[in-house]
Amino acid sequence: MSAAWSVEQVASVAPSASAMSAAQPLATPSRWSQLGVAGTSVWGSFQGSGTEPYDTIVDHSRLGFSCSCLSRQTPCKHALALLLLWVRGQVADTVTPSHVEAWMQRRRAASSRAMAAADNEAGEPPDGGSAPAKPDATDGSSATVDGAVIVDEQPAPPAPPPDRDATRNDRVVRMHAGLAELDRWLDDRIRTGLADSSLARYATWDQLAARLVDAQAGSLANRVRRLAGLVGASTNWHDDVLAELGILHLLAQAGRRIEMLPSSLADAVATTVGWQVRQADVIAGVPDTDEWMIAGRSDVREDRIEVRRHWLRGVNSGRWALALSFAAYQQSLDTSLPVGSSLHADLHRYPGPALRALVGTRHHDPVIHPNVAAQFAASACSIADGCAEVGVLLAAEPWLDRVPVTVHARLARTGRAWALADRTGSMPILDPSTRAFDSGVAMLLAVSEGKPVDLTVEWTPHGVIPLSIHLPDRTVDVGPRTNTTFVSAA
Amino acid sequence: MTTESMQEHWEQLMTVAMLGTDRRNPPTPPGPLADLVADTARSSASERMLAQVAACTAVRRAGVVPGPVLDEIAMPDTDARPTCIPAAIERWHHITESWPILEDEWTLTLISNGWRIAPELLPAMLLRHRSDAIRRTRVMVGAGDAGRWLVGHLPDLEPRHPAVSVTPEAVKSLPKLPIAPELAEMLDWPGAEVATMLAQSIQTGSLGHSHKPMLVNLIARIHQDALSNLINVLTGIDPMATGHGLATVLVDLAATRHRMLTELMR
Repeated sequence: MSAAWSVEQVASVAPSASAMSAAQPLATPSRWSQLGVAGTSVWGSFQGSGTEPYDTIVDHSRLGFSCSCLSRQTPCKHALALLLLWVRGQVADTVTPSHVEAWMQRRRAASSRAMAAADNEAGEPPDGGSAPAKPDATDGSSATVDGAVIVDEQPAPPAPPPDRDATRNDRVVRMHAGLAELDRWLDDRIRTGLADSSLARYATWDQLAARLVDAQAGSLANRVRRLAGLVGASTNWHDDVLAELGILHLLAQAGRRIEMLPSSLADAVATTVGWQVRQADVIAGVPDTDEWMIAGRSDVREDRIEVRRHWLRGVNSGRWALALSFAAYQQSLDTSLPVGSSLHADLHRYPGPALRALVGTRHHDPVIHPNVAAQFAASACSIADGCAEVGVLLAAEPWLDRVPVTVHARLARTGRAWALADRTGSMPILDPSTRAFDSGVAMLLAVSEGKPVDLTVEWTPHGVIPLSIHLPDRTVDVGPRTNTTFVSAA
Repeated sequence: MTTESMQEHWEQLMTVAMLGTDRRNPPTPPGPLADLVADTARSSASERMLAQVAACTAVRRAGVVPGPVLDEIAMPDTDARPTCIPAAIERWHHITESWPILEDEWTLTLISNGWRIAPELLPAMLLRHRSDAIRRTRVMVGAGDAGRWLVGHLPDLEPRHPAVSVTPEAVKSLPKLPIAPELAEMLDWPGAEVATMLAQSIQTGSLGHSHKPMLVNLIARIHQDALSNLINVLTGIDPMATGHGLATVLVDLAATRHRMLTELMR
């Protein structure tokens, strides 16, 4: 058997400590089949909760990983678990299966081509000499190859460029039709009343949401589905539903008159309705460069997708920005923005006065240093000033349902409910008894011990959600966290 | 337009919204809202109602104001003990995921070395030990008055079986772990001897995976001074040896315990 690694070496190739933690419980031989090691490759099949096992292969010499799971991380937790089994001596020497051999052959061929290309560029004949081993990650979507000979295929001729204008016009027409139908649906609800039994029927909401998806207004479809969840959810659900019907009407009307709106407002409406903007176009825009404090994080499940929000605030500009990441079942969320750190980076904002941005060039990795704590403290305001900050953002975009703010406040009680308070007033905390919530209040209570602290919260129409507590020596992340049985790494 | 008048108008809109505009006409919008809504050409009662609802919602949201000033809540008594360092907090999380056998020693060492449990660990520790009276008592000792105060505010953290009593001896002592007699005698050996004996036994195969539970218990209870020797010697086991995997696991445990105890030193 080839010289095995140590546990520390396995940990060193893990993308994060949490990935390593996720791999530990999987490193149980009983959950694997067809384990084997030969030469520089280790392989096995992991039986997860699905019907099909994940086929995992590791090249431990030239650092390559292949797994049929859906994780975007490299190496995924299955590859790490396989390595752990190997270092523990729980993988026996055996004959290399054909699919593993084929994968290794492709890697050797790719490496030879790369070396030949590099040598040709340098003007030297290829000599097959050794090159430093570099990690060669797959994207996790490989299928098993059953002994098939891999032949280089001729590249397909380029497709003709699409008629972008015609496509765009078609999309606009469809979206207008969808917005008109939304307005008709809203009109029906207002005519028949919120006490009408149709609101309690799943089909009432689902048909509209499906129609909006067809009309390329996916964001509105998500809003409709969330609105359906408010019906009967609390004692004052009628109030919440009526307000959201108003917002939907506002968006429908704005969307149907978008060409008459000021350009930045038109962009904001288009994005909110669901007009897709290519990430390449966003990245091509002028960046917003600053030292960005990573102020808070929240995870929320929307249908079958986990959505992570990272709130960043510019040290120099004071402006907020929102970085989103998404994960389907067993995929990974973004763990590269640790709460409480700061990051000198270019952010590329979506069109309009958008909070949402893409993180572009990172001029250095996120760092945590004493200045960051001082910067959070400097940005914290009173409850009254916090409400004013939120109001400014909502005046520009009344449809926003999450707005960040950093306040200096203490916990207080109003009966059984909790609130943030200071001498200028109070903000109710999202009531955990009526809406999905986690132990953020418990952490806030424990860490603050009733004293005022600096904290970043997400304002929502139903109450604020505590995200992080900024202490003098560290920031404690208390935001709602995804269920780790759903995503593979969080 | 005052907040109160906007609230009154919203309540009127709510009444009509419940009944539906087929049964009741929308109210007359007040003041500036009337101007805003009048700009839109609306022919039907439902369209006029929707315009009012949209405008009123936008105004109410933009005009978010603080709620009433609220009384302070009483704080827990001051505790002179320093809270454990952040590395110890991370270690507790790591131990409970990977080596829960070490948690009792973590808590008892923290208490005996004069630390207080970090506040951000309290909710997780209290939730974790709602059913275990001995471990819960340790947490409450380690938390001080903050633990009692926290449980008083959050009923979800109360013990499941509050009537169960525990003895002081049980609280202060590490639970006994089953260790075979021939291994148990190593608990009193000098570290170098223990390390050498274990390494030889693992390399020759006289100790293998079937002995892993006992070996884990041994390393979890062996004298702290022996851990460094163990780590160094077991790390040096031939990677080709059959027991190399087992040694790797034991090194991980020993290293975790060593770091845990170091982080809890004062």
